[in-house]
Amino acid sequence: MMRYLLLFVPLALLTAQTPAASKKVSNHKALAAASVQKNFKESGSPTAPVSVEIYTDYECPACRQLYMETLPSLNSEFVATGKVHLLHRDYPLPQHQFSKLATRYANAAGTIGKYDVVANQIFVTQPDWSQNGNVDAAVAKVLSPADMEKVRTMVKSDSHLDDSVTQDVAMGNNVDHLNQTPTIVIIAKGKREVINGGAPYAILKQYLDQKLRQ
Amino acid sequence: MKRWLLIAGRLIIAVIFLYAGFEKVREPWLQFAVSVESFKMAPDSWLEPVSRILPWCEIALGISLIPGILSRWFSLIATGLLAFFLFIGIRASVKGLTVDCGCFGSGHSGAIDAMWYVEHVAMLALGLAVTVGEFLKARERRA
Repeated sequence: MMRYLLLFVPLALLTAQTPAASKKVSNHKALAAASVQKNFKESGSPTAPVSVEIYTDYECPACRQLYMETLPSLNSEFVATGKVHLLHRDYPLPQHQFSKLATRYANAAGTIGKYDVVANQIFVTQPDWSQNGNVDAAVAKVLSPADMEKVRTMVKSDSHLDDSVTQDVAMGNNVDHLNQTPTIVIIAKGKREVINGGAPYAILKQYLDQKLRQ
Repeated sequence: MKRWLLIAGRLIIAVIFLYAGFEKVREPWLQFAVSVESFKMAPDSWLEPVSRILPWCEIALGISLIPGILSRWFSLIATGLLAFFLFIGIRASVKGLTVDCGCFGSGHSGAIDAMWYVEHVAMLALGLAVTVGEFLKARERRA
């Protein structure tokens, strides 16, 4: 009988703690959701064994090529399957006249949950807007008028829109010592490996597979 | 060619190959594979073996050139490699490819520009001079 009583005590304590514990869990979930929403440049599982960070400049043709030829397969085969956590980093190069503007449009779209569609559109239409700087027209084609208005307002007046860009550039200069875009950083077991230039998917896949096997 | 000049030339080539090899093996093989791929010469399946093996071959060649044993043959191999590197650079320029040669790792500019040609022609000329000198030296010994 005593044994049953002893079993009952921790059970009772556990039951008493449950609401608080579940509150903690839900708080955690809310925080995680908020951070996911906030960092719209991230995709994939944050607990993936390998992380890939890609520095790009929206006006750089090699970045466009990487975005259009390598990223779709990387996303479907590694990111969507939970093997790789992907993070886009902005590194607008000073010699590119409209790159900062394009970055503002992408990040403004990110704050309303449209980062992927707008970043994609900006890269796809790069040959057009890089001639005349009309990023607005390119972005307007893929957003609803209401969303476009929100994006325009942020691009015009949001003084914090470039905060993440400043952080990315600082990271690129001080930690990864960038000398070109695109640059791919592969992080596995806490080690950052900086790969200058755009890697074609076939060899990037071989490399990531090896990292995942290690 | 004076003997000391021949030794100096051979050692310079050895150092060039050792430096090129070490700079590449310090980096992930993917970095050099990206450079190799940019020349559009090798199929994808070759990129990993080439980018893993070539830097070690450069180091082995650099080491082999130092003691002066079989030096004419090692000089010939080095010159052949230098000629090949120059050839693929010219080919890339003719084809209008944007190439990062990756010759001395990613820390150095790999663009194929006028400076690249000056460097590579100079290295090839040195390689040729040393190879000819080594063969002449070997012939003198036999005579």
